[in-house]
Amino acid sequence: MPTLTDSRKLELRRELETIVGRGAVLSDPDELMVYESDGLTLFRALADFVVFPTSAQHVSAVVKLANRENLPFVARGAGTGLSGGCLPAEGGIVISLMRMNKVLEVDYENQIAVVEPGLVNLHLSWKVGPRGYYYAPDPSSQQACTIGGNIANNSGGPHTLKYGVTTNHVLGLEVVMPDGEIVWLGGKTRESCGYDLAGVFVGSEGTFGIATRIVVRILKKPQAVKTVLAVFDAIDQASAAVSAIIARGLVPAAMEMIDHLTIQAVEDAFNCGYPRDADAALLIELDGLAVGMDVQADHIVAACRESGAREVRTARTEAERQLLWKGRKSAFGAYGRVSPAYMVMDGVIPRTKLPYVLRRVNEIVAASGLRVGNVFHAGDGNLHPNILYDPRKPGEEARVVAAGAEIMKVCAEVGGSISGEHGIGLEKADFMPFIFSVADLALMHRLKNAFNPSGLCNPGKIFPTRKSCVEVGPVAYRPHAIEEKGLAQRF
Amino acid sequence: MPDALLEKLRAAVGPANVLIGIELSPYVVEGRTPEAAVFPGSIEEVAAVMAMACEVGRSVTPWGGGTAASVGMPTAGAGLILGLRRMARLLDHEPGDLTATVEAGMTVEAFQTALRSRGQWLSLDPADGDRASVGGVIATNAYGPRRHLYGSARDLLIGVTVVTADGSVVKGGGKVVKNVAGYDLPKLFIGSYGTLGVIVEATVKLRPLAEHEELVCVRFDRLKDAGAAVKAIASSDLIPNAVELLDGAAVGGAGLAAGAPGPPAAALVVGFDGVREQVDWQRAELARLTGPLGSRDVRQLDAAAWPRLGPAARGAFATPAAVMTLVVLPTQVADIMEQGAGIARGRGLQSAWAAHAGVGVMRAALGSDPAPTDPGAIAAVLTDWREIVHAGGGHANLESAPLAVKSQVPVWDDPGAAGRIMERIKAQLDPRNILNPGRFVAGI
Repeated sequence: MPTLTDSRKLELRRELETIVGRGAVLSDPDELMVYESDGLTLFRALADFVVFPTSAQHVSAVVKLANRENLPFVARGAGTGLSGGCLPAEGGIVISLMRMNKVLEVDYENQIAVVEPGLVNLHLSWKVGPRGYYYAPDPSSQQACTIGGNIANNSGGPHTLKYGVTTNHVLGLEVVMPDGEIVWLGGKTRESCGYDLAGVFVGSEGTFGIATRIVVRILKKPQAVKTVLAVFDAIDQASAAVSAIIARGLVPAAMEMIDHLTIQAVEDAFNCGYPRDADAALLIELDGLAVGMDVQADHIVAACRESGAREVRTARTEAERQLLWKGRKSAFGAYGRVSPAYMVMDGVIPRTKLPYVLRRVNEIVAASGLRVGNVFHAGDGNLHPNILYDPRKPGEEARVVAAGAEIMKVCAEVGGSISGEHGIGLEKADFMPFIFSVADLALMHRLKNAFNPSGLCNPGKIFPTRKSCVEVGPVAYRPHAIEEKGLAQRF
Repeated sequence: MPDALLEKLRAAVGPANVLIGIELSPYVVEGRTPEAAVFPGSIEEVAAVMAMACEVGRSVTPWGGGTAASVGMPTAGAGLILGLRRMARLLDHEPGDLTATVEAGMTVEAFQTALRSRGQWLSLDPADGDRASVGGVIATNAYGPRRHLYGSARDLLIGVTVVTADGSVVKGGGKVVKNVAGYDLPKLFIGSYGTLGVIVEATVKLRPLAEHEELVCVRFDRLKDAGAAVKAIASSDLIPNAVELLDGAAVGGAGLAAGAPGPPAAALVVGFDGVREQVDWQRAELARLTGPLGSRDVRQLDAAAWPRLGPAARGAFATPAAVMTLVVLPTQVADIMEQGAGIARGRGLQSAWAAHAGVGVMRAALGSDPAPTDPGAIAAVLTDWREIVHAGGGHANLESAPLAVKSQVPVWDDPGAAGRIMERIKAQLDPRNILNPGRFVAGI
């Protein structure tokens, strides 16, 4: 990538200002620092410019300028991502969509909404809530993260067990292609014409273009909701309960597991009513018709008790329900009570492998001399081990990263995936060979070439960086980028 | 076909698994006879066949149950049929994971039977499940009435193994229900009509079988009233698994016309599942909602009516002259049905309309009974239908029609600017253009 001279930089700044307006371009290094990382602060990179467009035409003009200057560019939402996916390449342009945050249209009868990418996820549910509707994908960061960012990562959340992830709720997108052309992929109807480009675009981590308008489905709020907390003296019992519930033919709206360490942290911070001495708890939510709800809840209670739950209780009021969910949703923040820092992992395994993999996770982290808290989407096998550490202690961060790589390998070995909802980004690009062959990656690369032939749109993400990857088979170890930079080493 | 190629194919898959000459009659599509039909028994054999075809530039048509063989434009070259019928095993079903992996040639019905024995099912109910293969259903994005609640292949396919045009074996997705590692390749192959690769294995999400399921038919004297009932259901607390809107002709096509004083103008067929009391409550609630909207009667249907719903429009005619699929916003369905039937009548043709109304997907059949109809009139009606759908922001494609009609009416919509991206994808994945060339959208 070219390094810009100061005078050239000034010229480009002026040109960008003519596109997006004064007050919508940053180029001062102090201001750019805000945009040097996302929620995963291991990786940092400074852009040359951050711009704040307010229309697809703005985005298109900025992208065309970037192409002309051969500058890399990347879209950015709220920066809550956890894989370094929205980091700039060294230099180039960060295109922040935060000023494109409107709900453009709501069609309640057809249950769709058209929104801009910078709209905060939860704000859509606020907007349509008074009419009895909501937007289903509910990542834990939904108070801050944007729908555009959710598109890039195909974000999930607790309720995706029943309702699916972001891709299941997106019908169409207006996209500024990596060459600046504005194109619609899909639309407002449930089927479109030709290949499912909208489906391919969602989850492409900003490498296929920049969405500027998004058509999403909104759902009718369920008539009734029931939330159950099951408390266990052994985490294996909680894992068994997940399988027992599935075996009874039930698909709850959500089924979340919270382990002992996490319960301690949550109770210290928020006092949500989880028993402190429990080894694990399952938070299970049923929703749907009011009639028949009690019958299903009885099945859940029975399945938990058969699996050894020492206590199963149902939230009696909405306030009680909210308190239980507060415990779950604020778990990440609560780790601050028990550790100066933590790093969240994201892996997926077949549900039936939960007991084995949780044991392995604990062994791996213990062998690193660290502690781990688990709070995750047990119903769909999406693990989030949170490794606690102290960044001031030399070498601890490196041990966290190494343990994370080991955990990902275990997920791959049991037939799982290295990411359920956080994406590959920079963090896991070099782990891709754990689950994909050279041929698999080559096909993905061809697909990328169809959308982004110049490679200027969010370079350096998803694909393993070392050329040698073609010589290594799947599930073979290769050093992580951080290791190569000397920031980490394997034990 | 050169003898050398034939010998190589026979060596790759076994002589009994290469058909030529008169044996090819089941694989003649719209008057075109392929050069040979090849039936590999493993992924490696599929890869070998593709590599050979690629080397000599022979076109290849992947073939499951053949139920959608005539959809699309005839391919540019007759080439090879690559049949998946020998690859029909259930490879893995772990009930606790609610997932299963199958070979692409397994029929939907055989798959469902195996799943049902363990209390689960794949929540896709395309027509002709006894013949349609899982791979074919994915490649054509086929679905049935239960799509209303349970979605389509894009909501269920979590992993796919594909042999690409050059004979590479490629996996996308995985075996877990939630997975964002890498690009979502399963989405790419859904509805791609065999133009990007040969689907050889699929991993899907499953659902537990409901304790109870019921189909309820509400008949109306006016289509408009049935349309209002669709809207009433959408804004109610009901959670139906199917909402089918049939016009009078399609009511007959689905075999639901009997037992009424005169044929109804329309029927709404609604499915419910769940525990017994949920189904009972919903049936009563449906009656309560539709009563004031002019429903004539509300009755339970036998489960045997389910598979007749998808093909209801086509079923109205002994031999339909053409069938079109039209996709609109759900609220537009009843209006488009009325307008579309009027357009056909204006040209002296009969039509039958059936819709997965809650998702806005309609099928319309044009009748040629009693006399054969002039292709020009059929083409004119289809063109008008497409126009009214486009005016409302929807899409239409021709599901079946004689070649004389296909030569006048494009089978597929023009995908606009997105078509260029599709062409680039095709060029990247199949640079020699050997997979179903010319069959799909934008000349792909």
